[in-house]
Amino acid sequence: MKHPLFSKILIANRGEIACRVIRTLDAMGIGSVAIHHPVEAQARHVRMAGEAVAIHGETPVAAHLDIVQIIAAAKATGATAIHPGYGFLSENAGFARAVVEAGLTFIGPDAETIALMGDKISARDFAAAHGAPVAPSVMPTDDLADFMARAQGIGFPLLIKAAAGGGGKGMSIVRHADELTEAASRASSEALRYFKDGRVYAETFVESPRHIEVQVLGDGEGGAIHLFERECSVQRRFQKIIEEAEAPNLPPALREEICDAAVRITRAARYRNAGTVEFILGADGRFFFLEMNTRLQVEHPVTEMITGLDLVRAQIEIAAGSGLPLRQEALRANGHSIECRICAENPERDFLPETGTVALLNVPAAPWLRFESALTEGQRITADFDPMLAKLVTHGSSRTESVDRMIAALRDLTILGVTTNIDYLIRVLDHPEFRAGRLHTGFVPTHRKALASSPPGRATRDHAAILAALGFREFTDLVFSTPEPYAAMGYWRN
Amino acid sequence: MPFTLLIDGEPNEIDILARKPRLVLRVNGRIYTVEPPAAGTAGTGTIRIDGEAVPHATAHVGDTQFLRLAGRTFETRVASLAGAGAGAGGGADAVKAPMPGVVIRLHKQPGDAVARGETVITIESMKLQMALPAPRDGVIAELLAQEGGGFDKDAVLARLVSLGEE
Repeated sequence: MKHPLFSKILIANRGEIACRVIRTLDAMGIGSVAIHHPVEAQARHVRMAGEAVAIHGETPVAAHLDIVQIIAAAKATGATAIHPGYGFLSENAGFARAVVEAGLTFIGPDAETIALMGDKISARDFAAAHGAPVAPSVMPTDDLADFMARAQGIGFPLLIKAAAGGGGKGMSIVRHADELTEAASRASSEALRYFKDGRVYAETFVESPRHIEVQVLGDGEGGAIHLFERECSVQRRFQKIIEEAEAPNLPPALREEICDAAVRITRAARYRNAGTVEFILGADGRFFFLEMNTRLQVEHPVTEMITGLDLVRAQIEIAAGSGLPLRQEALRANGHSIECRICAENPERDFLPETGTVALLNVPAAPWLRFESALTEGQRITADFDPMLAKLVTHGSSRTESVDRMIAALRDLTILGVTTNIDYLIRVLDHPEFRAGRLHTGFVPTHRKALASSPPGRATRDHAAILAALGFREFTDLVFSTPEPYAAMGYWRN
Repeated sequence: MPFTLLIDGEPNEIDILARKPRLVLRVNGRIYTVEPPAAGTAGTGTIRIDGEAVPHATAHVGDTQFLRLAGRTFETRVASLAGAGAGAGGGADAVKAPMPGVVIRLHKQPGDAVARGETVITIESMKLQMALPAPRDGVIAELLAQEGGGFDKDAVLARLVSLGEE
């Protein structure tokens, strides 16, 4: 057996992504260390890991952002590298630097690269300087009045964003001059709260664009390959809910142009790690650089499904200096893959997050299915963490097949006790425009009516009433109320 | 007397017509013959309704029974239980928290007039800020939240009275 690249790796994360990283570590014969706040001591990632260390903080999220405690946990357990997952500290340059200064390996790019790409302005300038198209924009300033004057200059609609932002925080679309003041102030206040940086910037808003992103791998020495693109256009609240690879209806020449632009940026940055270069694509075929995510992406499984590569393994091998897993020419996209993000939220109430308890969990299984989660029955879903509960991923030989398989799997997936978007996702996938691959980031609002929950048919409603009644003691007591059939009806007892 | 169940808030009436040899129910005016359930894995099973196999899953959380059937999820309650507790928040007279979170900003003070849809409170929950609007025209009678203060789901954050009622 090959000597492991690292003997032990600490995962500075939780939830499904921590579980997913541990799976690869197990497969590679590398020891795993989980971290957890006391509220999640029984969580699945803690139980899966070889070792676990409790970290403390005023809130669970604060604990997961505590650089000093996390590095101390790695040192104490003898881990020699840290995998940051996504979210939390994964794109924190200070964390990457602190990890290296502690004599450990950060499974990700250099702190300088994170800082470069973490600031939307410097990332945009870098992309433009290396031949990637960027949208017309107004640079940020602390002077809101000046900012607004210049923003009006490039015309509406405008997209207002936080300079330090990500994940849709501090972002809004402004269509008229009279909305600009409020939107800019709100974006600035939100940005200040989340990123401790209130600078906002504005750029031309491309109407109904597609969100196309390219998975890249860089070796840190200027070598880079792409693992094809993903379509992530179906979003709500500026966050993706359905992703797929490859993107439907993308002309081959345009696909190549977009993937090449991503590789150019990756090479120029001497990028080390798996990364994602995001673009928006207009209906007219023009595409603009959006940002580069310097970490593993939530939706990375769809790329794994079509390439057969394990991206976490690739990250670890690259971090250990083993270089890229394959040459570009050796890569083939096989079939089609879709991922649905299963979230605790109510699509009927503007996708507001929901809390509850996972009272019943039933997950379908098939060779073409992946269910990524850290869910366990009895688990409380609180407001402590992100509302994403799980990811369901399917593969098929064609897009039609992977969509059909996803719908069947979602129908079988049972998570009871907390309101989820499962039924909503089925309606999206079955919508004729989705089936036809006519996607854009306004898909959810554009098709709001067609995607709304319709009342069940008469038979389904009556069946639901019968099943529900038989589950309530108040009803079964009525069934048992006359002495004579009592014995005969014994099997109705719940 | 029919048994009334709420399914996603909608009432459904069920009468027991016969218990033997098979259970016969009248549901919303239609008659069904029900045969005993075959147990599946925990919480799942199959029941026969008019001879048709109906696989399903159920789970109870408090007074609510969640039901998954035909690729959909339903929330069900016994009507008499569902009635209790609801309405305590005062319906359209209250601005309620859609989920747990923290108050970022109070836009109105007691005594201020508000129009329907006007922002009363900005809250933050799960890293998102959102504006809570007035459910109707009126006057703020009472603010039960303070900036920086936390609250649970369904907490009443403000109460409204009609103009001239205060």
